[in-house]
Amino acid sequence: MDKLWVVIKREYLERVRSRWFIFTTIFGPVFFGAVTVLPTYMARRTINSGRVASIHILDATGTGLGHRVADRLAQQQHTGGAGGFGGGRFARGASTAPQSIPSVVEDLNPPRLAAAESIATKDVMTGVSPGYLVLDSATVTGYKARYAGRNASAVGQIEEMQTAIRQSIIASRLEGAGIRPDRIDSLTDVKVDLSSVRLDERGRGDSGIVSFIFGAIVAFMLYMMIMLYGQNVMRSVLEEKTTRVAEVIMASVKPDILLAGKILGVGAVGLTQQIVWVGSAAGFITYGAVMAKAMGMPQMQGMTFPTVPPSLLLSLVLFFVLGYVLYSAMFAAVGAMVGSQEEVQQAAQPVILMLVASIIFFEPVLLNPTGTLAVVTSIIPFTAPVIMPVRMTTIQVPPLELAGSLIGLAVTCFVVIWAAARIYRIGLLMTGKRPNLPELMRWIKYA
Amino acid sequence: MTETALDIRAISKSYGDYQAVRSLSLAVPQGAVYGLLGPNGAGKTTSIRMILNIIAPDEGSISILGRPNTERGSLDRIGYLPEERGLYKKMQVRRVLRFLGQLKGLTAREADRRIDEWMERFSLKTAEKDWGQSKIDELSRGMQQKVQFIGTLLHDPELVILDEPFSGLDPINAQALKDTVVDLKKRGKSVIFSTHMMENAERLCDSVCIIARGGKVLDGTVAGVKQEHGGNNVALALAGGGGAELVNRVVADHKMVERVDDSNRFFEIALQKDADPQALLRRLIDAGAKVQRFELVQPSLHQIFLEKVGATGVEMGMSGNG
Repeated sequence: MDKLWVVIKREYLERVRSRWFIFTTIFGPVFFGAVTVLPTYMARRTINSGRVASIHILDATGTGLGHRVADRLAQQQHTGGAGGFGGGRFARGASTAPQSIPSVVEDLNPPRLAAAESIATKDVMTGVSPGYLVLDSATVTGYKARYAGRNASAVGQIEEMQTAIRQSIIASRLEGAGIRPDRIDSLTDVKVDLSSVRLDERGRGDSGIVSFIFGAIVAFMLYMMIMLYGQNVMRSVLEEKTTRVAEVIMASVKPDILLAGKILGVGAVGLTQQIVWVGSAAGFITYGAVMAKAMGMPQMQGMTFPTVPPSLLLSLVLFFVLGYVLYSAMFAAVGAMVGSQEEVQQAAQPVILMLVASIIFFEPVLLNPTGTLAVVTSIIPFTAPVIMPVRMTTIQVPPLELAGSLIGLAVTCFVVIWAAARIYRIGLLMTGKRPNLPELMRWIKYA
Repeated sequence: MTETALDIRAISKSYGDYQAVRSLSLAVPQGAVYGLLGPNGAGKTTSIRMILNIIAPDEGSISILGRPNTERGSLDRIGYLPEERGLYKKMQVRRVLRFLGQLKGLTAREADRRIDEWMERFSLKTAEKDWGQSKIDELSRGMQQKVQFIGTLLHDPELVILDEPFSGLDPINAQALKDTVVDLKKRGKSVIFSTHMMENAERLCDSVCIIARGGKVLDGTVAGVKQEHGGNNVALALAGGGGAELVNRVVADHKMVERVDDSNRFFEIALQKDADPQALLRRLIDAGAKVQRFELVQPSLHQIFLEKVGATGVEMGMSGNG
């Protein structure tokens, strides 16, 4: 036991002291934050950059719809965005940006449309205008409009134009029905903020979207941790093998203890990192709303750290620990099997694929956490460590399924560790070519 | 002090059809320097790994200082320097050594004290530079070898096992190693080293065991082994030039000479049993050789080794490295 502790201590301290660990632990949350917040921020910024308003509108409806759309777009520019996320508002920088050029509206007779369109296309190609919008009789009757431009793939901008067109059509119809024009704006300006709440049998619930995000984050973190630290174990085994330290160590401790110490030590590093991350996330969410408000991000206000019941937390930790042990044992066996850094990535692929499978199933499971796929993948021991936590955070998993999944995982862990320890024991002392499957079986048999 | 440091009884180990070690028995008295000699692939490393309980023998038993080597704590009394040496490259020297010491049961404080002692002795810690804070890969190869050697001896083992210790050592480190082996013996420790370099074994060992193809060929004290195989051997050295071809013909005459080992500037000649060394000397002088040294000698271990093991004793081993 003393020796196990010595091994654990070395694995833990050498990693925690490394620059890599300090860097990822500190900058991990910053990085994740940047990855999740920045794209939204950027997208919102682009919308408000005034480019949409300066497009060319070819109006062949003969009803003045083009001018209405142009007005709406210009209006959105000022009030900030098309609603929906209310996102435009947080990009305060945009409203202080130079006044945008209003859209150019061209009223046309339908026969002249084709010619005008080819001129507009050239303008876009030469960069004179960012894009052009075609409104014709189909727009009025069938709600169809066409847009062509350099920014045609920007979802936010297209959405904004759609809203402008829809509201313009409604407005013109209301006017046709005799509604006073000054009432129209207030009638058509409708924003619905759909908030969803998750209910379980105790009636308690978090906001549905929060538990959805929480589930996704938990799954992704588990996946990342298992992948990252499992491979860390693999590299550590390989290092000891290639530098030949393994033989010196094995003259002092049994390989099983060395393997156990390695897995536990590296796992403790992962746990340390998670504690730091989860802690800083909790802090960010608790105090972040204030910060977000100051930064002008109103949608952050609705976000609270989901209340995690202790039983759920316990099962999450259990799944993480078992999943990590399962995969790191397999990674360790791979590390002991190969003889060099070059070989190891290839040899690790079967293990990595099993892990990647759980991330492939993750999205459909998240969307339908009670479906057959979800049930099956949360029982299979190799996908369970990632999939079951996803289900647990989004729905109430039946206790029988939960127990089955856990027992299956634990048993598999046991068998895999047993086999991996044997491969490890022999592999560490072997040099030369990587064993094929029958040879591997023989190692397991004879060790 | 009559206790045996290491007692191996009829150990065997097979890998599938390949028998790496067959029924090997040997005893190393306490305080002895013992050579385990054999060509590559003879089963030296496999035997050593069994002694260290890294692999288990299929048959037989091994006891260290009177206790089975599978017993808890018995491995703590052994220091081991493997043939393929290496340390954690990115780890600080002192931390590596402390780790190795703690694995053998030392406390961190005790380990630190001894690390200082050894590092000063091997001039890895001097007034101007303490290499203890450096990472292993910042050290020169020679210094890394010293660190490895300290790691082997830090816990003051009763039995020290050195697998091919001289391979890759520069002359200065080789000398330091030799001095340390002698010092260990003086302090009553037992040293086993495996090698296929007979000159080292001959100079250092009290006793030897020659193994080939997994089995023992002979063992005993170096003096005893030599006496037993004492034949009609001549050491011959010639002063430069002068009828080299003629001399070579004389030396290679199979009526008189059984085997000749030409080391360029020095010949070791095994005469036929009934051949007269004086006759050889006469013929050499007649051939015009300027004899610098002509000495009746006991055969070197090298000669005995060649005679006993021969070229056929060398097989490709399963261990892959010796």
